[in-house]
This record gives sequence, structure tokens and C-alpha cells, in this order.
Amino acid sequence: MHVSYVNELSIKISSEKLLTMKKLLPHLKQYRLFVILAPIFMLGEVIGDLSVPKLMSGIIDNGVIAGNMNVIIENGLLMLLCAALGGLFGVLCCAAASYVVQGFAADLRADMYKRIIHLSFEQTDSFTTGSLITRMSSDINQLKQFIEMSLRGFIRSVMLFFGGIIMLISLDTRFGVVALAALPIEAVIMIIALKKAFPLYKAVQVKLDNVNEIVSENINGARTIKSFVREDYEEARFETANEDLTDKNYRVLSLLAKMNPLLHIVMSLSVALIILIGGYSITPDAEFGVGEIMAAVTYITQILHSMMMMANMFQTVSRANASAMRINEIFDIEPAIIGGEITAKNLTEGSVRFENVRFSYPGSGAETLKGISLTIKPGEHFAILGATGSGKSTFASLIPRFYDTTGGNIYVNRIDTRDYTLEALRDKIGIVMQKTELFSISVADNISHGKPGASMDEIITAAAAAQADEFISLMENGYETVIAEKGFSMSGGQKQRISIARAIIKKPEILIFDDSTSALDLATEKRLSEAIKEHCQGTTVIKVAQRINSIIHCDRIAVIDNGMIDSIGTHEELMLNSEIYREIYNSQNRVPAADEKEVSFDEYLEREIG
Amino acid sequence: MNTSNEKSVKSNTARPVENIRLGGHRSRSPQNIEKPKELRRTLKRLLKFLEKRTFFLLILVMVIVTGCSLITPSLQKSAIDSVSFSEETGFGVDLEQLGVMVMWLIVTYIMQALFTYFQGILSAKLSASTVLRLRKDLFNKIVRLTVSYTDNHSHGDIMFRMTGDVENISNAVSVSVGSLITGLLTIIGTNVIMVYYSPMLTLISVMSILLTVIISTKLNKVMRKYFVKQQELNGILSGHIEETVTAYKTVTAYNLHQNAEDKFNKTNAKIKRNGFRAQMLVGVMGPCLNFVSNFGFLSVAVFGAVFALNGSITVGTIQAFLMYSKQFSRPVNEIANQIAVIQTAAAGAERVFEILDAKNEDEIEDFNPNLELTVELTKGKLDFRDVRFSYIEGREVLKGFSASIKAGQKIAVVGATGSGKTTVINLLTRFYSPDSGVIEIDGIPIENYPKDELRKALGEVLQDTFLFSDTIGKNIRYGDFEADDEAVRAAINESACDRFIEALPGGEDFMLSEGGENLSAGQRQLLAIARVVLKNPKILILDEATSNVDTRTEMHITAAMQKLMKNRTTLIIAHRLSTIRGADNILVISGGRVVEQGNHDDLIRQGGEYFKLYKTQFEGRET
Repeated sequence: MHVSYVNELSIKISSEKLLTMKKLLPHLKQYRLFVILAPIFMLGEVIGDLSVPKLMSGIIDNGVIAGNMNVIIENGLLMLLCAALGGLFGVLCCAAASYVVQGFAADLRADMYKRIIHLSFEQTDSFTTGSLITRMSSDINQLKQFIEMSLRGFIRSVMLFFGGIIMLISLDTRFGVVALAALPIEAVIMIIALKKAFPLYKAVQVKLDNVNEIVSENINGARTIKSFVREDYEEARFETANEDLTDKNYRVLSLLAKMNPLLHIVMSLSVALIILIGGYSITPDAEFGVGEIMAAVTYITQILHSMMMMANMFQTVSRANASAMRINEIFDIEPAIIGGEITAKNLTEGSVRFENVRFSYPGSGAETLKGISLTIKPGEHFAILGATGSGKSTFASLIPRFYDTTGGNIYVNRIDTRDYTLEALRDKIGIVMQKTELFSISVADNISHGKPGASMDEIITAAAAAQADEFISLMENGYETVIAEKGFSMSGGQKQRISIARAIIKKPEILIFDDSTSALDLATEKRLSEAIKEHCQGTTVIKVAQRINSIIHCDRIAVIDNGMIDSIGTHEELMLNSEIYREIYNSQNRVPAADEKEVSFDEYLEREIG
Repeated sequence: MNTSNEKSVKSNTARPVENIRLGGHRSRSPQNIEKPKELRRTLKRLLKFLEKRTFFLLILVMVIVTGCSLITPSLQKSAIDSVSFSEETGFGVDLEQLGVMVMWLIVTYIMQALFTYFQGILSAKLSASTVLRLRKDLFNKIVRLTVSYTDNHSHGDIMFRMTGDVENISNAVSVSVGSLITGLLTIIGTNVIMVYYSPMLTLISVMSILLTVIISTKLNKVMRKYFVKQQELNGILSGHIEETVTAYKTVTAYNLHQNAEDKFNKTNAKIKRNGFRAQMLVGVMGPCLNFVSNFGFLSVAVFGAVFALNGSITVGTIQAFLMYSKQFSRPVNEIANQIAVIQTAAAGAERVFEILDAKNEDEIEDFNPNLELTVELTKGKLDFRDVRFSYIEGREVLKGFSASIKAGQKIAVVGATGSGKTTVINLLTRFYSPDSGVIEIDGIPIENYPKDELRKALGEVLQDTFLFSDTIGKNIRYGDFEADDEAVRAAINESACDRFIEALPGGEDFMLSEGGENLSAGQRQLLAIARVVLKNPKILILDEATSNVDTRTEMHITAAMQKLMKNRTTLIIAHRLSTIRGADNILVISGGRVVEQGNHDDLIRQGGEYFKLYKTQFEGRET
């Protein structure tokens, strides 16, 4: 028997645990007919199985012993019928169970997926991608196994168990007594062994984690270990962990080595006892015959086997329960950001107003935005400038409601963003993220994500405006090139331009660049700005940046510092009025020469580019 | 195996999502048999890992256990015969005979139980000792492998060899080998006994068992197709989930929910359909085999009855046959499974041996290090002369890199991503060896130093800091195990770690989670600095981090690095203007060689590569 026999096994199932599984029951509702049918079919199979030994005893006693050939043939045919019917019911039960299980799993997966993609950022941030995938694959698989087992294996074992006892008693009450005497002994052996094994198994798990951790550290930290010349130390560390694990594993195995023969001997002794009792009861005139002894031997083996099977199934229960808990964790989250009712499709001016907006990331305590108020006019090119950590990216994330403000209101087209349906609000906005996210589909499909159903002409025009047409055309398959592995094959600047094209093609009312031109050189960026003005006429553009030269030509610039607005104005105004702006400008554009003669960066530019 | 050519990308960052076990991934189910390339050779080699004495003892014990299980049905037969009627005597119950037989039966049962226990203990011992040795050898190998091996192989894959493959081997040793041997013995034994009792009845029961085998292999074949497809579909679905979750902002911003859901549901529906078929096939196997075995049971019963009626066999023989055919059919059905397990284990063993056969760092080139060269003697003068290097043949990363660094100098290395900056470090630390050219410390080629001494002389603080899931104190002490508490405290203070360590619960005893994830990136880097302070190397290699560090921590890191650089030859892969300005010399790398060097002002004035780099990289960053 394998170690996993005792894996996560717990005999006690608390009511609380059952509740976890119960929560997922509604997903079975649709299949309830088949949930009921499966055990009924199984009953058919079990009755078939149970009848065969009984019929056989008839063959022996009334056929062989009595010398009646007809009985042999009759019972033989009956046995064939029973076996065939049993098989047929077995297949039906399997079909019903498979239908339920696959349907349940598919529904659950779909529901989970739907739930996941409608969560807000702070909610998905709390799960890793790996953990989400595990929940949707192996956790659901555990539940599948559990349901299949419940509908088939478990019910079969229970039926065989009780059916066997009934058949045994119907043969002779004393056989029943033998069984009832053997059962508690078997049960006690199993319980004692498993009780001992459970903590042992947990210990194995801990030691195993320990070993895995050391191995993983030695693979991932190979450079560190080698540069500190710690190979010998690591070897010694692993040796201890390895020996610990082996020792614990050995203990589990030797426990099982003790348990299995004990279980078997109880079973064998009951068989011997039945033969003995049966043998002494045979009298020439009695209706009791040797065939019945033989049937009894078959039944008692069946009963004890089915009991061991049931014990085996407990581990599936506790595993499935752990999985159900992980799955429920996802269903228990209510989407935090819910849209309003308004679509306001015709209101397309593109104004944005912040009214005393405050924001802090959940769990961080410190406020990232500390009361921001400003108005961005329709069609304006507006810039937000600030250092890393000043809160400027947060500013951009709040407009399409990636996060909700913790205080104050944001208005788009004079309507509170919370009153729009989420779709309507986000349709109005095109945002180019700081971290480019592309899908592993063709370049053209990536761009047309901005406008589903866009024509090839539209795609090329948008790409041209985003300064991307040139390099896309140079790629082997042009616009049909499939972006591999999240765009590893492309440079940062190329990826940025594709995602800019995706935003431009949308022709949104408000276009937001969240520090998303950082990988472009100034000349390309300048061409991009001009192309946007031409391509998206009347669109309000909000540019978040830390490079002054990329926003110098915007209509107005807001300087954010430490979560607050320092000042708003044109470049010239800010140079006059804002100390922070001047500082940033000087640090970025002034190159102090060795001879202390200050040369401005513009001069260099002139010299370089002309 | 991942032979990515993205060598410059640190393997840590480019690693795909791991820890994902898709359903049935490399499982031991018969649907997923992996074929080893050279079964015989692999098994032979695996045999060397077994403890010979335990192994032979185990086989002996298994023979006894099988013998016992072969005798019991015969004893049962005799017991039953002793209470059966017979034509000649009328009532032929022989209670004395019954008692004797039942007694023998009990003796055999006890013997069997006892030896089954021995078998369990022996096989547990055997598998424990095998796995212990295998794991130890494998780990000792992994620790000493070259960095290029770990760079070029997926870490998840190496991990799997250590865990999954070794586990499979352990299972094969402890369970399958035994089952296979007892199975074969049982098949032979039962057949001999059955033929002895009644050749005709043997034929009948063997036929029904063969039918089982045919049915299950046929079903298995069809099933496999569906399982392969299921794996594929699961992969697609996971890929889709991963993509939507990682690109979640885009999905949200562009209202792509419906689109994503539709795509998901399409694959999901396929999985449901395919899964139903696969599961049906698996599920049908049970009832089908059950039917066949019932059929076998009844044929034996009916024909046995007929034979008994004409007196060619006794009633007890029927019972014995029913038991023997059951005993016989079990190993027949299991043999295919066990062979599959052994095959999978052998395939795993091949993967394990592949690592064991990989070259150690020490074996890769046979330099004759001068054992008298020790850390204490190094001063820290560095020379690179016409160094050429390529990770992949034909794609040179360094194309004649030459530089000369005086002891105690601070050198800033600048260059665009992929220009070869990290490679210089990889060569200096001898993680990789140059294709041609010479690297010297104090005028002596680095190959002449004993590798360990060379590395003791170097200290690195790299961008992604690797920390152990141990206490903070232990992590710092990794720099020098002999350091006393005072030295550790001094290192903490010098590296500006004191403030954040004091704020943590438990201070120095604060436990780091895997990879130090419970600290911020900046804090991790400060710890790495403390570790190097304690190591006190002659030559320092720094890689400035630019991302994910808040301004204040960044100030601390810069300050700590400044202190660390004092009186040490330092090579800095620089990202910060202030660092570059403070360097004694700036090496501008482009296209795998040094294209310009000098100080900041001179280089700006030259208006060459550095100026261009400055324009795109640095301006705008400094605030």
C-alpha cells in the first residue's frame, strides 16, 4: 500500500468541514436527476454481484450434491443473467456519474472564471496567478474525484458491505456473528494504525517541504552559494534534512507493514472459522450444505474488502474538503467595484474633474493621494508630473475605476464615475499602461482589442499614428506576427507602441498615458504627440510622466508631490512659479561641465540633432 | 528542457509560472506511460543504488509469502472436501480431517501474515536506503553543477527530478518490483496447481482471464488518446487563465471580459465533452471487467459442477478453482500497471542520471590552480585583455573586451540592456569561462587561483538579491560563519539595516519567507549588502537596482554602497547618475567591447555613445 493511503486522512469530519462542501452543492442542482439515478444503477450492479455466490451455492448443494443437472444449468443461466444485468447497470451508473461530474466541473470552472475576471485589482492582487490556476485545475479535479467516488465507489462499497452482511445472515445467523465479531477488530486495527499514521504523515510532509526548500534554494540561489563558497555547508544541511525525511518515511511504511498483515489475518481467521462452523453444522438431513459454506467464504471476503475500501476513501474526503475551501475562498469575494446605471453614450465631451480625491492602497495605511482637486477641460492635453512614488500613477488608475477612491469624487463628463456602468465608463477611456500587457495572438488582433471588428485599414492607421507601422511591417509576418511569450521577442519600445496603437484605435474621449512612453526616444515621442493630435481630434489626453521633455508641450502641467498638487500651469508658468518644477527641470536638463560653465541640455540637443 | 537563448535575462525573472500541477501531470496512471530510452542500461545502473543484501532477502521473503498464498486454497479445498457428500459413502463428513485441515489453514495464514510483515519492512528499508542515496548523490551534484547548467535548464524541471522522479523510483522499488516478482510467481504457481487438479477447468478459467486482459488493453489504448487530448486542453485553458490574469489591467480597461469569457467557455466546453468520453471509458472498464470476472466465476462454477457431477473432480476443487482463478487474475491485471510504473520510474531515473552525468564545476576544465594563491594575498588589480565570450556558439556577447582597473579604483560600467555588462561579472566570478582572452587579478590569470579562493576575494550585490528562508541573522552570517555577534552588529549598522531590522518583530531572529518575499526589494538589497560587508571581499561587484525601491530606501542603499566601496576595487553596473559621476572611471560598453572611457564630463563633451545613452537612459530618471 502506498504512503498516500494515509495522506491527509482524518477520521473525524467536523460539521464545519461538511459545510464547506455544502456551499458548492448548488452547482450540482442542475444534474440532480442523474445524481439520484447513479446510485440506483449502482444498486443494480451490486445486486448482480451479490446474487452470483448465492446462486453458486445452489449449484453445489442442489446440483452437484443432489446430482441434479437441470439445477446446474438453470442456476448457471441465472448467474449469467445476473452478471450481464449487473454489468449493464454498472455502465449506466458510470454514464450518469460521468455526466454529473464533467458537467459540474465545467460549470464550476466557468463560474469561477467569471468571478475572477470581474474582481477588482486589489482583490486579484491578493492571489498569485499560480494559485488561481491551481484552484481552477487541480482543486476542481479533487472535487471531481470526490463526486465520482461518492456516486460510484463509495455507494458500491456501502452496498456491498451491508448487502454482504444480509446475505451472510440469510445463509446462517452464526456466520453473521463471525462477521460482526471480525468487523470491530478490523475497525479498531485500522483506527489505531491511522491515528498513529496521521501525525507521522504530517511530519513527513514537513520534512519533505524542508528538503524541497533546500533544493529549490540551491537551484535558484546557485550564484549566491557559489560566490560565498558554501557548497560544503549546503551539502551538510541537505544531508540532515534528507536523513530526517527518510527516517519519517520509513516509519510510515513500517507502520503500514504492520497494519496490512494484521488486517489480513483477521480476515483469514474468520474464513477458517466459517469453514469450521459450517463443517460442524452439516448434517445429512439438514438443508444446510457445503455450497453455503463456499458462498459464505466469498461474502465475508467481500464485506471485509469493502470496509477497507471505505477507509481508503476518507482521504479523498479530506482532500476534497481542502480543495472546496480554496474554491470557496474565491466565491466568497464579492466584487468590490460595481458599476452604476448610466451609460451616457451621447455625452462625449471628455472632461475630467477630481474633487478632493483621497486614496490609500488597502493595507498600506499611508495615503497615496491626499486630497486632489483639479479639472481637465474637454480636448485639453494635460500632464501630471512627479517623482517615483509621488502618486501620479494612482491618479491615472482612478479615472477608469481600477481602484475606487477612499474619499472624494471623480467626474467624467460631469457625471460621477461611480454612476456609470463599468463598461460605459471604460469605453470612454483609452489607457496605455506603464507595464505593457500584450496577448499571445497576432499583432493585428492585439491592436483591434481596442476596437473589436476594426478593419485592417483602421489597424494600420492606428499603428502608423503610434509610430509602430514601420517596425511591424518589417517583421516577418507583418501584422499577422504572433506575439510570443508576452512579447519577449520585442523590445520595450516596440511593445509600448503596439499598446499605444491599441488605445488610439479606440478613439476614446479620454486618452491616458500612464508613463508609457518611457522607452521611446524624444524624437519618436514628439512625432507620436503630433500624430495623436491629428488622429484623435478633440480627444482629451492625460499624460503621466517623470520625464519633463515628454510633456513640455502639453497645454497644462500639474506637478504632484507627495500625494498633493504642488502647482498647475504651462511650462513657462511653472518655470516661474514652481520651485519643484524648476528643480526637476534643472536636474534633468542641466549638465554641469567640469569648468563650471553650465550648458543646458537643449544646447546639446541642438548640436546633436540640429 | 528549456534551452532559452535569452541568457542575459536572469533565469529568475524569465521563469514561467511554476508550482502548477495540472491534473494527471506525469502521474503514474497507465494512461501516461513514459518510455525510457535505454531500459536495460538504466535498470542496471539503478540496481547499483540498491542494498544488495536487503534486496535478496526481500526476494526470498516474497517467495515464502507467495508460497503460503498458493497453499491456502488447496487447504481450503481439502477442508471442504472433508465435509462434502460423496457418492460412494453417502454421508462423508470427516470432522477430524476438517479440524486438521483448518488447523493447517490457520498455521499457513499466520506464517503468511508474519512474512508479509517482513516483506513490508524489508521493502520499506530498501526504498528508504535507495532514495536516501539517490537524493544525496543528486543534491551533491546539483550543488556543484556549473551555473550555466542551472541557467540553461528550467528550475522547475530540475526540482521535479529531485522530487517527482525520485518519488517514482522509490515507488517502483518499494511496490512495483515486489508486485512484479510475486505476480509472476503467483501466475506460474496457480497455473501449475490448477492444471494438476483439472486441466479442463484450468483452460476455462485462463480463457476468461485472457478475455479481461484483451478488453483492458483495448480500452486503455483508446483511453490514452483522450487523455493526451485532455492534457492538451487543460494546458490551453491554464494558459488562457494565466494570460488574462497577468494582463488583467488590459482586460479591464478594454472591457474584454466577455471576449475572454467566450474564449474560456469554448475550451471549457471542449474539455467537458472530451472529459466525459475519457471518463466514460475509464468508468466502463470497471463494470466490464467485473462482468468478465463474474462470467469467469460462473463458468468455473457451472463447468466445475458438471465435472463434479460426473465425478472427475470434487466440490472442494471447485472452491479451490474459484480462489485460484481470482489469485491468478489479480497479477495478470496488475502486471501491465506495474510495468508502466517501472517504465515511468526508469524514465525518471534517466533524467536523474542525466544530472548525475553532467559535469561538475571542477571537472569542466582542468586548470592547475596554484594552491598557494589565497584571498589574503590579493590586492585587487583587475585586467581584462581581449576577452571574447558567447553563450551560444556563433553569437558573441563580448567581442574583445579589454579594460584595466587599478587596485582600489571605482569603475562604473554603463551600457544599454544586453550590451554585455552582466557577462563581465559572470566571467570574473568564473561562473562562465571566456572563449578566448585573459582575465587577471594582480597580474595572475584567474584560472590560476583556486576557484574557492577566487570567489572568497569577490563580493557581489546583484539586482535580484537571493536570500534564504531563515532568520535575518543567519542570512547575514552567510557572509562569514565565524563572525561574532559584534561583527554582525557592525555589519548591520554599516549597511544601514539597523533601522528596518529593529522595526521587525524579533529583530535579527525575524524569519524570512521563501526568497525573502516578506521584505521589500530595498530591504532585501540592504541585507545583501550587510552580508557582503561581513564577507569583507577585496573586490566588489555592485549592480544598482532602479526599480521598486522608494526614495528613502534608495538613499540608504546608495549610502551603504558608498561605505562598502571604500578601499575596495569596485565594479559597478551603474544606473544612477550620481554613482557614475562619483566613479574614478566610466567604461561605456557597446556591442561587447569598451567603446569609450573617461569621466562623465569628458564623455558628455565627446558626444558619442555615452552621450546617446545618457539621453535615453539617465535624463528624466534623476529627480
